[in-house]
Amino acid sequence: MNTLKNKLLFAFVCFGIFAGCEKDDICLSTVVGTPDLVILLLDKDTGTRQSPSGFSIRPIGTEKELVRSTGDSLALPLQITEAITQFEFILNGGSENENIDTLQINYQRQDQFINGACGFRANFVLDQTPVFILNSGDNWIKGAVILKDTISDETAAHLGILH
Amino acid sequence: MKLLRTWVFYISLLTGAHSVSGQEVAVADSLQTVVLDSLDIKQKTPISLRFGADLYRIIRSRASDDYQGFEAVADLRIRENLFLAAEVGNEEITKQFEQVNFTTKGTYYKVGFDLNMYDNWEGMDNHVILGLRLASSSHSQFLNSYTLLDRAPFWQDPETEITSGFASGERLNLNAYWLEIITGFKVQLLNNIYLGLSLRLNRLISDTVPDNFDNIHIPGFNKKTEENKFGASFNYTLTYRIPFQFKK
Repeated sequence: MNTLKNKLLFAFVCFGIFAGCEKDDICLSTVVGTPDLVILLLDKDTGTRQSPSGFSIRPIGTEKELVRSTGDSLALPLQITEAITQFEFILNGGSENENIDTLQINYQRQDQFINGACGFRANFVLDQTPVFILNSGDNWIKGAVILKDTISDETAAHLGILH
Repeated sequence: MKLLRTWVFYISLLTGAHSVSGQEVAVADSLQTVVLDSLDIKQKTPISLRFGADLYRIIRSRASDDYQGFEAVADLRIRENLFLAAEVGNEEITKQFEQVNFTTKGTYYKVGFDLNMYDNWEGMDNHVILGLRLASSSHSQFLNSYTLLDRAPFWQDPETEITSGFASGERLNLNAYWLEIITGFKVQLLNNIYLGLSLRLNRLISDTVPDNFDNIHIPGFNKKTEENKFGASFNYTLTYRIPFQFKK
């Protein structure tokens, strides 16, 4: 009887441990969230990475500014509630021959389950025509090439912008 | 008299093992003598059927809008201290688990045996149970809404709930199999009526993982944690023993 009680006590303690500790209720900070679109600025003739002078990017539809808006490799956040996101690509910003091209990125969102605690992350698939240049006239951006059409992480560039 | 014995049973469960162990050994010794002396009684172990329902699930269904469930239980005495036991249940539960909101619907079956470890006094029929079950469920998961994990939210509030689109919707035809180790007790309240409580440690054997989602909740198994395959559940049963008994 004594040993039986000990066994029962042990079982109840085990029950408490298994019912009480739920470590996967916490979404670990190492888990990667929704990725940004990574673009490269490429020379239209040579295909080499090249950041033109006075170049910056401004998102359309928000007062916010990108954390990093200059350079030849940039991470652009995409809208989750829309299938498009628009940016202004500015050349020679602030100077007399400033040239602004408005680009629309076209994509489909596909949400991917991570786990119960983290929920889902959004992945994006670029459309066949990933970029529309919305303004006419003197465009400094000549086109775009898909480098990787599924945006599921930020380890490699997804889109090359030719200029 | 019955009530007194019930209380004795409760108290013996609740009091510290060491303070009463001496008396219990003495009682157990005297009981064993009785049993040994009456071999003919032992051979006439009656087979009896007992069935009932889980009160906890009934109460929870009444109290919560997010839960509908019922569990029927039955056991068949095949030896003095051995029972074939089964539970059948149906559950529908809506849960907000961290970033996801989902509804799980399904039925489950549990089959196994109970071993009564309690030495009853003459005329008593209380149980301290160790048991084992093999269980299975067939269920569906409906993803109602979720939020997207965004480490550097730019365009939208990261708490924006996604209620339709790519991932939401129903996942049908899911199964799970698991083992349950049970400890519990049953107390004879009236002549053929028993009140029981059982705690169950569940070990998942396999489950069909829904497409682009997970079985966060499995009917009968309860919460499936991601890191390990253990779950826990309990029931609180009221059962009725059919007075008719087969003589072996």
